[in-house]
Amino acid sequence: MIEYAKPLPTPDMDTKPYWEGCKAHEMRAQRCTNCGAFRWPPGPLCPHCRSWDSEWVRLEGTGEVASFVIVHYSAVPVFAAEMPYVVATIQLDGTNGAVKLTSNVIDCPPDAVKVGMKVSPVFEDVTPEFTLPKFRPIASV
Amino acid sequence: MTVLPMSNQTAITGLGWTEFTRSSGTSVSVLVARACLMAIEDAGLGVDDIDGIVSYFHKKNDTQHPRELAEMLGLPACNFHHFHDGGGSWNAAAVLSAAMMVHSGLCKHVLVYNGRNRYSEGRKKRARDAFDTSGAEQFEAPYGSHHAAAGFGQYATAHMAKYGTTTIDFAHLAVTQRKHASLNQKAMMRNPISVEDHQNSRWIIYPYRLLDCCQENDGAVAFVVSAADRAKDLRHNPVYIMGGCCGIEGRDGDAAKTARRVFEGAGVSSSDVDIAGIYDNFTFMAMKHLSDFGLAPENEVGAWIREGNNTLDGSLPVNTHGGLLSEAHFMGLNHVIEVAQQLREGGVVDDLCKGEHTYDRSICRQVRDPEIGFVCGNLSASAVVLRKG
Repeated sequence: MIEYAKPLPTPDMDTKPYWEGCKAHEMRAQRCTNCGAFRWPPGPLCPHCRSWDSEWVRLEGTGEVASFVIVHYSAVPVFAAEMPYVVATIQLDGTNGAVKLTSNVIDCPPDAVKVGMKVSPVFEDVTPEFTLPKFRPIASV
Repeated sequence: MTVLPMSNQTAITGLGWTEFTRSSGTSVSVLVARACLMAIEDAGLGVDDIDGIVSYFHKKNDTQHPRELAEMLGLPACNFHHFHDGGGSWNAAAVLSAAMMVHSGLCKHVLVYNGRNRYSEGRKKRARDAFDTSGAEQFEAPYGSHHAAAGFGQYATAHMAKYGTTTIDFAHLAVTQRKHASLNQKAMMRNPISVEDHQNSRWIIYPYRLLDCCQENDGAVAFVVSAADRAKDLRHNPVYIMGGCCGIEGRDGDAAKTARRVFEGAGVSSSDVDIAGIYDNFTFMAMKHLSDFGLAPENEVGAWIREGNNTLDGSLPVNTHGGLLSEAHFMGLNHVIEVAQQLREGGVVDDLCKGEHTYDRSICRQVRDPEIGFVCGNLSASAVVLRKG
């Protein structure tokens, strides 16, 4: 097996449940159990009602491309080999617009990516410890 | 909110800079010292008059620590220093910090600087930095989002989809600022460019081409902030600090609120601004910042640029030094230097005019009679209003 050479996440106490969800191939987001608001990034208290109580709920994982870029230049050799690739901001469905992830849109020519495009998650098990959620268009392009 | 008690109580009194290059051949300490000594001399002060220091960096320190500067210059005393990690969002905040230090009475004359060997030393660190995935980077770096254009391009594509802004609009901004830089002896990039040159430049990260991106360079800039009553007796007319804000967009993400605080605190409105230094790490980001502060219409900022409102004789001259795109990148502190120069009697000293300003745009970049200046930082996170004294 070729060693995975790209940067891997460094989870912390607040973000660990998110990455554990990814490893289980589930898109999970943190929701306040007092006021019901989703929040991103994960954190200890609700920025709306300041409650300390929260839960991790499973989402469909689908979403929409809020914005994107196409990378044609990189100073990092492991990524340069894959150019051009898309880095997008994905607004996850069912979170009232609160959860916006940075990820790659894959299985799609970069030029075909559009703002507003509907996407679904693809969980890539990049190492035995880490799974990265990426996204592909729901409709064929 | 009413006008800030500190409004017009402090002023920018001295300006300094080094040569801007891709290979300084010297240390950051030397660059910082040169720019600081020039600023102190320009104010008509001596090194012993300085008793406060402000500087900043982005994420990881790549400039000189104020403590080291105080030792190197042999300051008799430094009553307060402030060293912040706010990067490009913090240029106007640096001005305001110095103003607060002076207005409080803690300091008499505060030195503000940024200096670095960003091109000759900083570029080598990039590939290594991409593997720091703690904190917010854990959600970015694994996806190959490590170049600034990957993050700041997101704002552009969202705006393009919403308002029909195009990369031709970006091109006009780049062309105008290059024209300004062609009239600036210290600018890195002085050869004029055309819209076609912009469109033919290579993609860096869509929607940004090479000519949408800022410079990387070595060098330093510095200025002195003094109390208004002392400033009157110094070498140049004071450039008063009217007000500003270093805001955090907060939960609702509303830059307009920051804008309101800036102008109300200064006692002016956005339409009073005669000249602006707008943070321009990428072409579109300057357009975003202009509309965040109500200096250009959000839905028509592309047309506003194409019509030339941002030119030297336009309705609001913007980045008259060439900006980060064509002059140099000192995290926006060079924007403060430029706006302050423009607000001085005699105007800018480093265009191509010999003697009096002619307003002939083949040699002169001095704006006609500006009174109120404005400078903002990245993501509109800090801004300051300045006034010719």
